[in-house]
Amino acid sequence: MIFREVEDRDLIAKARRGHVDAYNVLVSRWEKRVFNYLLRLVGHREDALDLSQDVFLKAYQNLKKLEDPAKFPGWLFRIAHNEAYSLLRKNRPESELAVDPKTGGESGGRMFPIELSLAVQGALSRLSDDQREAVLLKVYQGFKFEEMAEILSCPVSTVKSRLYTALDLLKQTLAPVKMGGAE
Amino acid sequence: MNCSSEDLKAYLLGELSTRDKAPVEDHVRACENCREELERLKLTQTALLALEEEEVPRRISFVSDRVFEPRWYETIWRSGPAMGFASAVILATAIMMHGFARPSAVSPVAPTVDTAQIEQRIEREVNARVDAVVAKSVSDAQVKQAAEFVKVLNATEKRFETQRQADLATVQQAAKYYEQKMSRWEVAFNDSRVGQ
Repeated sequence: MIFREVEDRDLIAKARRGHVDAYNVLVSRWEKRVFNYLLRLVGHREDALDLSQDVFLKAYQNLKKLEDPAKFPGWLFRIAHNEAYSLLRKNRPESELAVDPKTGGESGGRMFPIELSLAVQGALSRLSDDQREAVLLKVYQGFKFEEMAEILSCPVSTVKSRLYTALDLLKQTLAPVKMGGAE
Repeated sequence: MNCSSEDLKAYLLGELSTRDKAPVEDHVRACENCREELERLKLTQTALLALEEEEVPRRISFVSDRVFEPRWYETIWRSGPAMGFASAVILATAIMMHGFARPSAVSPVAPTVDTAQIEQRIEREVNARVDAVVAKSVSDAQVKQAAEFVKVLNATEKRFETQRQADLATVQQAAKYYEQKMSRWEVAFNDSRVGQ
């Protein structure tokens, strides 16, 4: 992890000097995480891909503004957050229908991986955008509360509130399912 | 510690320090409700993490764009090898210019002596080498000539010997012939004398 951070820092330094190849390496390291974050946030594959490209383009154009290369992940996800919310505000009705919510949270029999996956997608889709994003940044991307607050431009207390509420909602749907499946 | 759902969530999400973890763990061991609550939260987290990441449908990459590329002098300035090469060229040019601009600055005596000595040494060396080569060539020619002479001599002697053998055979044959003829004459002479 330490080596990886150092390497990212080197790549950022080279990219700042105009080395496009170095930036492409950086993109290849982060594109999957950014794409999946955006996909789960906006719920539409093509939109997520377009947004990912916009995110990395904006990141490249503003790379010299990044004061501390060690903060690149949070800085990158902040750009992704801004891009995603621009789209969500524009396409609110469509994005609400983007994720198929047919899977319910009813507990019951054992779930296969695909069913579990659909159940999780359904549960995430029923959260508000803010709650879902808090879960994505914490559970899937592993950011700390302070980093999330910087990415989302809000106080840490707001981050905690969104995340804890989201966990309670998800628990109602997913925990019974898992407990029933485990029996 | 009292039952606190927030503390349980912070504990689950790894946001508690080592010092703050211990009271929560102690409480969970003692409180069945909180133990169940933490278990459900863990199951929720496990379910969330079961959602696999999707591959990016198309790789995102950037081509070289002149807007973002450094200018040519920036490229040279930031390139170690290019800077090294440029420095070498500048140094070489400076040396050449120095040589052309100040030819008389060189001392006239010492180089002349050195040059003469060097020329003599080169001449001696060249002469020695030429002599050696000539001597070797002459020696080789002499050896070759002697070998050729011996070869011709042997051939000539062989030819003479063959001729001598042939002549000897001819002489012997003639002698035999005359001896037979003399014998016949002698027989004929004796016969004629007996007849008279």
